[in-house]
Amino acid sequence: MALTLRRGLSLAALTAFLLVAVAAGVAIGSVNLPLASVLGAFAHPHATGDVAAIVWALRLPRVTIAMLVGAALGVSGSLLQSMLRNGLVDPYLTGGSAGAAFTIAIAIALGVPTPFYAGLAFAAALATTIGVAALARHGRGVSPERLILAGIAVTSLFAGMTTLVIMLSPSASVSLSILSWLGGSLVGHGWSDLGWAAGYAALGFAFAAAVVPALNAIRLGDARAVALGVDLSRTRWLALIASSLLVAAAVSVSGVIGFVGLIVPHLARAICGSDTRWTVPASIPAGAAIVVLADTLARSAAPPIELPIGVLLSLIGVPVFLFIAFRRRRVA
Amino acid sequence: MIDARGLVLGYDGHIVLRDVELLLRPHELVAIVGPNGSGKSTLLRALAGSLAPQHGSVTVDGALVSGLSPAERARRVALVAAEEHADGDVRVRDAVAMGRLAHRPWWQWNGPPEDEAIVEAALERVDLVPFAERLLDTLSSGERQRVWIATALAQQTPTLLFDEPTSHLDLGGAYATLDILRGLVADGAAIAVVLHDLNLAVASVDRIVLVGDGTVLADGPIDAVFRADLLTRAYGAEITVGRTDNGTMVALPRRRAKVKA
Repeated sequence: MALTLRRGLSLAALTAFLLVAVAAGVAIGSVNLPLASVLGAFAHPHATGDVAAIVWALRLPRVTIAMLVGAALGVSGSLLQSMLRNGLVDPYLTGGSAGAAFTIAIAIALGVPTPFYAGLAFAAALATTIGVAALARHGRGVSPERLILAGIAVTSLFAGMTTLVIMLSPSASVSLSILSWLGGSLVGHGWSDLGWAAGYAALGFAFAAAVVPALNAIRLGDARAVALGVDLSRTRWLALIASSLLVAAAVSVSGVIGFVGLIVPHLARAICGSDTRWTVPASIPAGAAIVVLADTLARSAAPPIELPIGVLLSLIGVPVFLFIAFRRRRVA
Repeated sequence: MIDARGLVLGYDGHIVLRDVELLLRPHELVAIVGPNGSGKSTLLRALAGSLAPQHGSVTVDGALVSGLSPAERARRVALVAAEEHADGDVRVRDAVAMGRLAHRPWWQWNGPPEDEAIVEAALERVDLVPFAERLLDTLSSGERQRVWIATALAQQTPTLLFDEPTSHLDLGGAYATLDILRGLVADGAAIAVVLHDLNLAVASVDRIVLVGDGTVLADGPIDAVFRADLLTRAYGAEITVGRTDNGTMVALPRRRAKVKA
């Protein structure tokens, strides 16, 4: 019971940290708002005035999208790391982000209007992941080794082609637009983008929840899990589908935000222990808080320039992650 | 109860065992013995339904094992396979509780409250209660072996299969493990256990299945299987069979003449 209590408190602390991050994300920006006005605006959603407009029309949709992206990438990373029993696995491993990046690069080069990007990115990410999964098929199931190999190969292929598009693009501004999408950004998205991305993400979260008990049993070894009644093929397919939906939803509204899907599972494990029934839920507030904070920093560090979140996460996240990973003690 | 008939077993066109007939009944502890690579583990996997036979059939309590889902199988047969890497940071109690997985819908995170008593009883049966809150990587290999036995017990299956549960154990640990299995058999379980040590088998089991030469060479009570000619043929080394002072049969390699330089 003591262990369950400790894990519950850790999860509560992570959630509290997320709330703080959200408050900071809404309060901080080109115009800094006092916390009291932010809370006032939350309490009166139909109020008018500058503060209400900034909070409800500009900051809150952006912070909410940041939460969705962080939670989706975090859970996706947790699923794949558990399924493949490998802490080096990143949700982008399955090629989704690379496929989306290439498609968006082409779209930008061809002058496709911006509102189509989210849908295009989603479709490309999902299609690429399905292609990688098809390459990794082995009998009824998916072979982990083949999945990693196929994912790395397809990612490299798309990365090469994206570089080619950037180099051959007609103008420097096109190249710059592509690069800024690749660096990850939440600029220019509102409630409407959130709606449909959240729908697909919700489906991904539901599949993720269903596959948690089986992933937990896989910690004892694949063969043992099968002996205990786990359908390994179903587990791997469902984890892949869940991860693909979550990555596609995230990429469609944020571009390529790297690193979150890799570090969040490690943080969740360090805080709540490696039981999948805790790691996966803990990845939601952990991932959400990280992306909200990174986005807040990205738009307030060097105004009026917005730094790419992906770049920022690497610059700050990597040292922090290394610190935590190497001082981390084992937690049940 | 497991009934295997006319089994031909192998991997990718390579046949390991043929003409296997094997019946495993309740209240029976059966040892499967034979040399390395003779197909003991292959046979066990086929009995558990995790390896499809190339020919023949395996039925568990009357149902064809090949027609069962993994969860249905796990409710009828518990298989404790040989060494496989498990994450070291799994708590003993959580590992044993995973034995209950097949008894609830696959998407459900936790079992009903009754599961706790079942897990506790399984831990008690293998003397692991004091270790329940420990992590797997803090246990000795013998203690970890007991965790896997407890996990199988939590499955509450009438049939249990063990692949070398005494490997890496000293003589005392090996006997203690087999005593646990004897206790289960006394309660009505049907158990087959792959053993490496012939003499350990003699001391503990009701029946021996000797695997060698690509088939089951003998299947019966100890006296019938412990014959020098059979064992010599199976192991490809000269083996003599004798009895100790108290009448226990022993199998030993024949002493060879010293080789002169």
